[in-house]
Amino acid sequence: MPEKTFIDIHLIQTVPFSNLNRDDTGSPKTGTFGGVTRARVSSQAQKHAVRDTFAVQLPAEQLGTRSKRWPKIVSDRIGDLAPEIDAEVRAELAKAVLEAVGFKIPAVKAKKDEEAPEPQTQYLVFLGNRQLDRLAQAAVESHRTGEKLDKKQLKPLADTDQAVDIALFGRMLADAADLNVDAAAQVAHAVSVHAVDNEWDFFTAVDDEAPADNLGAGMMGTIEFNSSTLYRYASVNARALASSLGDTANAAQVVGAFVRAFATTLPSGKSNTFANFTLPEAIVVTVRRDQPVNFVGAFETAVVPSADGRSRAEVTATRLASYAADVEQAYGNPAVASYVVRLGEATAALDAIGERTSLPELVASLERVVGERLTEHA
Amino acid sequence: MSVLLLRLAGPLQAWGVSSRFERRDTRHEPSKSGVLGLVAAAQGRPRDAELDDLGLLRFGVRVDQEGTLLRDYQTARNPGWANPKLSYRYYLSDAVFVAGLEGERQLLDSIAGAIRSPEFPLYLGRRACPPSRPLVLDLVDQDLDAALSDAPWQAADWYCARRPGTVRLRTVRDARPGERGIESVRDVPVSFSPERREYVWRDVVESWVQVPGASTEVPDSDGSGGELVVDSATSDGSAVASDRPADVTAADMRASGPPSRPSRADAFDELI
Repeated sequence: MPEKTFIDIHLIQTVPFSNLNRDDTGSPKTGTFGGVTRARVSSQAQKHAVRDTFAVQLPAEQLGTRSKRWPKIVSDRIGDLAPEIDAEVRAELAKAVLEAVGFKIPAVKAKKDEEAPEPQTQYLVFLGNRQLDRLAQAAVESHRTGEKLDKKQLKPLADTDQAVDIALFGRMLADAADLNVDAAAQVAHAVSVHAVDNEWDFFTAVDDEAPADNLGAGMMGTIEFNSSTLYRYASVNARALASSLGDTANAAQVVGAFVRAFATTLPSGKSNTFANFTLPEAIVVTVRRDQPVNFVGAFETAVVPSADGRSRAEVTATRLASYAADVEQAYGNPAVASYVVRLGEATAALDAIGERTSLPELVASLERVVGERLTEHA
Repeated sequence: MSVLLLRLAGPLQAWGVSSRFERRDTRHEPSKSGVLGLVAAAQGRPRDAELDDLGLLRFGVRVDQEGTLLRDYQTARNPGWANPKLSYRYYLSDAVFVAGLEGERQLLDSIAGAIRSPEFPLYLGRRACPPSRPLVLDLVDQDLDAALSDAPWQAADWYCARRPGTVRLRTVRDARPGERGIESVRDVPVSFSPERREYVWRDVVESWVQVPGASTEVPDSDGSGGELVVDSATSDGSAVASDRPADVTAADMRASGPPSRPSRADAFDELI
């Protein structure tokens, strides 16, 4: 069996007062770990932040779109390619091509005196932008030649040349399960390394135009927040990624882009209220040939402010370093490569477990190592 | 017969057997389909591979640390539309289980090897739930009941410390032929193929086993500090040192210490 390549990303990141990821009552998400309540940031919210960054950093043709509005999107794309086709015919073509691939588009009826609502696919569908182009192209050709759309030819158009975000995060389609893509990246829910109690901020807002004798507030309310040092973890299966992308050289670049995006983004929840923009105090990236290893166990016993004056960041970094060393010693299959990017003296303990570097250098080294491994162990 | 024992521990786990779409639930203990799915992923079986050999393994779990139920609310944006789509996912947080698979030693040996070096990354029922401790616990030449009752208690130190003496742990296992179960669950995978996902029923039996608890030295009552020593007893009666990091002292434990754990009924009440 050829060797595997798993890339583990461990981040220690302190966020000040913030509400990155809310539940349905507006509270910052929490969970229990090690018997105490912790701040929690869901994996979905972190993945969404990564996708937002990709949209700025990567060319659109490498990315996908997740939407229910595919009938309109495909029809617009057909319009770009062949402006001579009538809007009504375009809509028909878009519907036909989507249905031929296997997506259901429920019929919608117009209410009295109202315009018909826009047709939608039954579920959110994640399609690559290149896949969209090819489907639109096929629809245009079918219109020009008069030949019927061929299911057998269309389906592969939606299932090859996967977009970067689809290959990383996967695709699940209830209507067309044969088009599912298994995610190459796993993102754990981020968890604070210490116990957290959410707090409330009571606020009032002034009505600028209120008469001078009106001393009352225009409105008032509360915002819930917390502050935490998070352990964030994600893992990428490079071989699975290369297989979804169908391109080994590109897979190494995508691993680099993912690591950079994951380490430098946070969910944007209430970020204008709290301006909680921080970068991780420590980034540890390990390349392994046996299996991904999550180090969250280092924090099962909650970190508490230390009596000897050590900061939370220092205790956290020390715990992470000693846990990582323990794993190597106990299981005896050392990482192929380990890199550490860190800030300040508090995180110095981490130098024991990897080569200290900067994020750009880390990404460059990672791309090289992963590229070599994918070629050698294809 | 031999039994492969797996330790399933992590901040979050989710073991749903029937839910799809907007509401994804979890049972209170790992499902057979979930654990066999993990085994199949470790072996690198494609989703449409045969599973007959795995389905024949007898399965049982022991609840070493009851988690609390967590409801995660999630929105999915549909760009350009006002209302996001809502979904609810249930998780068990802070739980530890011992799962046993009973079968031929040779097969179990190869499964253990695959889990130690898996082909696909492994997770506890849902992709966002990676395990926090190594999964393979032991491979023993016993039957399932004996293996589940003899395995040392796997709960976290803080959890053990609150339950000195012998503890009773709940087990849930496949019913033997002719044995009457407490429940039938559609939980034996026939195919994980996304186009033809198929499960069949199994009857499950619930019982209890007793395991040695942890011995705890209570620190000075004046609360002035001193190390809280937590030893976990191993099955042969010897004591192993606590792996609690040295920077946690008794004072720390009291300062941030675990609140009293809500019972399972409380956990459900919180959802209403």
